[in-house]
Amino acid sequence: MSVWNMNNEPEISRRSLLEGTGAVAAVTVLGADIGEAGGEEAEHVTVTLTVNGHTRSVAIDPRTSLLDLLRDRLALTGAKKGCDHGQCGACTVHLDGRRVVSCLTPAVQTDGRAVTTIEGLAGPGGELHPMQQAFIDHDALQCGYCTPGQIMAAVACVQEGHANSPEQIREYMSGNICRCGAYVGIVAAIQDAAARMRRT
Amino acid sequence: MQPFSYTRARTAEDAVRAVAGGGQGARFIAGGTTLYDLMKLNVETPDRVIDISRLKDLDRIETGGRGELVFGALARMSDVAAHPQIVAEYPAISESLWRAASQQLRNMATLGGNLLQRTRCAYFRGGEPFACNKRKPGSGCAAQGGIDRGHALLGGSDACIAVYPGDMAIALVAFDARIDVLGPDGARTIAVEELHREPGATPNVETTLRPGELILRIRVPRTAIGRASTYHKIRDRESYAFALASAAVALDMDGETVRQARIAIGGLATRPWRARAAEQFLAGKTLTPRTTREAGDTALEGAKPGHNNAFRIELGARTVADALMIARQRA
Amino acid sequence: MIDMPFPDTIRVDAHDKVRGRPIYGADDVRPGLLHAALAVSTIAKGRITGIDTAAAKAVHGVRLVLTHEMMGATKSAGFLMGGGYGFQSLQPMLSPAIAYRGQPIALVAADTLEQAIEAAHLVKASYAEEPFSVTLDAPGVEVVNQADTPLKNFIPEIAAGDADKAFAESPVKIEAVYNCPPQHQNPIELIATVAEWRGGRLTIREGTQNAEAVRHGVATALGIAPDQVEVISPFVGGGFGQKNSLQMQTVLAAVAARETGRPVKLVVPRAGVFHDASFRPASRHRIRLGADRSGRMAAAIHEIDAQTSRHDLFPGEYAATSSRLYGFANFRGVERLVRTDVQTPGYMRAPFEHPACFAMECCVDELAYAAGQDPVALRLANDTDTDAATGLPFSSRHVAECLRRGAELFGWAKRPMAPQSMRGADGSEIGWGVAIGAYPGLATATIARLKVSEDGGALISIGGHEMGQGIRTALGNAISRKLGIPVEKVTAVIGDTRAAPQHLTAGSWGTASAVPAAEDAADAMLKALAELSPGGVANRAPADILKAAGRSSLEVEVQRKAPGQSDAIFGRLRAGLPSIAGPVFDSHVTFSYIAHFVEVVIEPGTRRIRVPRVVSVADCGRVMSPRTAASQVRGGVVWGIGAALREASEVDPRYGGFLNADLAEYVLPVNADIGSIDVAFIDKPDTVFNRSGVKGLGEVSMTGVAPALANAVFHATGRRLRDLPIRIEHLL
Repeated sequence: MSVWNMNNEPEISRRSLLEGTGAVAAVTVLGADIGEAGGEEAEHVTVTLTVNGHTRSVAIDPRTSLLDLLRDRLALTGAKKGCDHGQCGACTVHLDGRRVVSCLTPAVQTDGRAVTTIEGLAGPGGELHPMQQAFIDHDALQCGYCTPGQIMAAVACVQEGHANSPEQIREYMSGNICRCGAYVGIVAAIQDAAARMRRT
Repeated sequence: MQPFSYTRARTAEDAVRAVAGGGQGARFIAGGTTLYDLMKLNVETPDRVIDISRLKDLDRIETGGRGELVFGALARMSDVAAHPQIVAEYPAISESLWRAASQQLRNMATLGGNLLQRTRCAYFRGGEPFACNKRKPGSGCAAQGGIDRGHALLGGSDACIAVYPGDMAIALVAFDARIDVLGPDGARTIAVEELHREPGATPNVETTLRPGELILRIRVPRTAIGRASTYHKIRDRESYAFALASAAVALDMDGETVRQARIAIGGLATRPWRARAAEQFLAGKTLTPRTTREAGDTALEGAKPGHNNAFRIELGARTVADALMIARQRA
Repeated sequence: MIDMPFPDTIRVDAHDKVRGRPIYGADDVRPGLLHAALAVSTIAKGRITGIDTAAAKAVHGVRLVLTHEMMGATKSAGFLMGGGYGFQSLQPMLSPAIAYRGQPIALVAADTLEQAIEAAHLVKASYAEEPFSVTLDAPGVEVVNQADTPLKNFIPEIAAGDADKAFAESPVKIEAVYNCPPQHQNPIELIATVAEWRGGRLTIREGTQNAEAVRHGVATALGIAPDQVEVISPFVGGGFGQKNSLQMQTVLAAVAARETGRPVKLVVPRAGVFHDASFRPASRHRIRLGADRSGRMAAAIHEIDAQTSRHDLFPGEYAATSSRLYGFANFRGVERLVRTDVQTPGYMRAPFEHPACFAMECCVDELAYAAGQDPVALRLANDTDTDAATGLPFSSRHVAECLRRGAELFGWAKRPMAPQSMRGADGSEIGWGVAIGAYPGLATATIARLKVSEDGGALISIGGHEMGQGIRTALGNAISRKLGIPVEKVTAVIGDTRAAPQHLTAGSWGTASAVPAAEDAADAMLKALAELSPGGVANRAPADILKAAGRSSLEVEVQRKAPGQSDAIFGRLRAGLPSIAGPVFDSHVTFSYIAHFVEVVIEPGTRRIRVPRVVSVADCGRVMSPRTAASQVRGGVVWGIGAALREASEVDPRYGGFLNADLAEYVLPVNADIGSIDVAFIDKPDTVFNRSGVKGLGEVSMTGVAPALANAVFHATGRRLRDLPIRIEHLL
């Protein structure tokens, strides 16, 4: 599967102003006036991506991660920051149908691509995805913080064909750390949901 | 993270020109799993980033050729790992890929980027206050005299003992793979084994790539030896961790006798480490606990222990021995 | 009713959690929000002699660069264990002094996170460095005998009989030293605060186990009245003790929000969590165990050296648990604290009990082999129902039943005694190990308000925090059973200082404190409903009674003390101070217990240690929520496996701080590390301890796993490994 087969490269545009800033007056800091925020504005680029089926166009700092774009700019906070270095999996989302860690995905690289987050997993009427239901049924969570990443990884694990045995599930779910230690329930939930996903 | 300008390259030639013209501060980005990670740590501080992730046709996995397999440098680790022909004919390559990182990261990371993955040495990644000749030439090497449990036993120097962390390159050097690169002065082909440098006095110079050179393809010569191969990786946990020791091993057997062996070791050296003396030792021998172990010892010959890592000499030898027995099952 | 087990209801908040609802502190996104980042000290000890913020201020979008020179009248809120509210007494950025590497020296607030992080990196400080010591044996540490400090007033030394004499006279003597490394809690939710001022009132949103201490602590630090502060923390993305008090970033975010006039979000990066919050201190345990030739233990001496900081004494309470494992007629515990140049260590799941049980239960296994006794039989022979240290009975103690049931479920009877006697087909060495664990029974004062409405719902506002342990589900089950209202119609408002005083939720006392108070509230409600309904309340839904009486709702409030507490305790509770009782009460001593049976398989060549199966049987009193309780125990077992085989925070004595400060190098268990974990409960209510019969569970579940595993490694290999973690290099 090739995921970068775009024929028309969108032009990268620059913007002088980042959304949502610039409206703030000078502030005084314990007597020292720091005035307007200084420095030269970093270059901005506009990315247009599809998030949970909706097209979104956002001017971003090229440094922005997909995770921070989702959380801070698009208010989709289901994906979580646990390490910011691809070491925990809490930020897992699907990019063009494949699971990735959004913290190590520069948002600028998602231009023209499709992102699915936990918020986009349930059906249009809010009915839960079989994996979400299986996580409830098997109590495959405790604090819930890693759960969106676990579920997004788990859905992909099944779709990839990596949910054929408990051993295979454990291996292919090892990129998602659960500090509460819900691993036994997670494996059971995926086995259960895999059967239901295959039926539908 | 330092600000940078971002440009998406349309062709490999454009990308090479942009990086070559961008001086020291220009870098290619593909999957981003190494570069972007290190930029977040302020270890990498490019002022210009050239996105090569959408270059055409460089994601292909070509297995139909008679003489070689060709992987585009932008092929994703997960795709190559799962390719049925690679699973069947080069299990060592497939295993070296799926035993690395997590499926999320393997969906992102490209083969070319993975070859150039930078060390996990905590003193390198940790930034200030740690001395690190690789990050800040001339500052020293905090790993020597420090916590060196995960550091290199082979190929180190007084200036650096950082381990080369990748897995796939270990398998590739065992199979004599080569890479096509494109640079400002044109294209050339080099052996993967010649790609990574030992640190010597300049650990900051990690590869033999010239400024602006871009990896386009990886070529693996076709060989029947691939079928009886494995990548055996020993870690501090069962998955999602870097190697304490690893071995890519392939065997060509004549009945019970080894006609030819390929052995490369990972997690133990400053670069992918082909163990030719161990290969030669095995030629003409039968595989027994004694000969496999001796091959392992031979592969680790010259290993220099530090404070906490001496056990990995023994571990490395046993990893090679176990890998040989796994490959033997596939012959 | 107390004799009826609770049904296997689903976790009440699972639906929100699987949908990724924005329920955690840092999920808060609001207009005008500034993002903050910290610059931290690169030296391990000394003073800042100069700090250059010009480059940081010059970064576009930066609104504030805060340093110690600009903190005005801000002061420390004090140390939680010293009468204050903070995880340590040192609030960073109040002076130029540097006590440990990683200590924050500046905060940058900017329009975007990228700008804040860039600018924080540009803050440059110069320092005058001082010598420092970061390990237990380093020159320059100061060793303090805890009994010589004011800590002795609330942490008594544990002593019974004459341990030294009894040890000297014992025909079988075991003496060994066990080491546990520093470790970090590493909840996946980072420590983070969103602070917002509105009309002189401060709202703090963050994941905390102690909203009331955050409220009073930040008020103390800023010199404002506590009623100007509200703390909202409905869910915690894992705490494990690290979020048990005021964190340093809360005060910094609040000051930044005040100075900029905008809400500020400060998410501490993972490397910061290793340095800017508490951790499990390194500890060394010297155990001397004396027994007769049959293995009947006559004496135990447990001496502990545990790490603390220069600026605080983090108390050690190791012997309080090791002394309660068996009927030690003669016991002596010595707690020593070693001052090192670190942030103050603190509570990490089973903070003392995991290391104490590791040391004692490994030593007991050594005794079993010295005495030639089966390790389960030896433990059964040393069981007791009386606490030797106080002479009081245990309110409940089902250790023997845990051991017997566990042995049966595990198939222990088939175990050959001799080490190295079990092999896999591939030549793997297989070992079976057992150990017990214990954790004090604790309870806190609690205030609860319960409201029922004509729509059929019940709303309980009560002290407590949901960290994943399932307190909402336990409360739902309790109220549901009492009032005959479906669990899904019961709402618990917790972790919110606007609802009820929010005492620290830790020490496995959450359920044992909140559930009895909730049941008191439910009884008060039934009484109030009865007054509304002359015809009686039997078999009538509260909503029907309300409707019949023409009421839309009815509310009651109750307050509940732990046994032995005076009414003054409610003042402490409302002031955000610890209001805990136990495990020693006037007439009894309360502990939770567990027995773990562990199988290890050790590869013949590269010696990887696998743990294919664990059986755990817990005595936690009444199980309020079977499903979440089983998950808790499995989680505790995963923690024990991590502690036994993987987790250690590495310290380079040349640099201070912690070296492996990320989740790649600090090795947590992943899914592939975990095999089957079978959990069973005794489920016998301890109604001496409280009306609901509930003891604690979250922490006892981890205790005893590491020694069971180490004992299994001995059984597999014949090697006694007394230092954690046990890794490949110890078995090659």
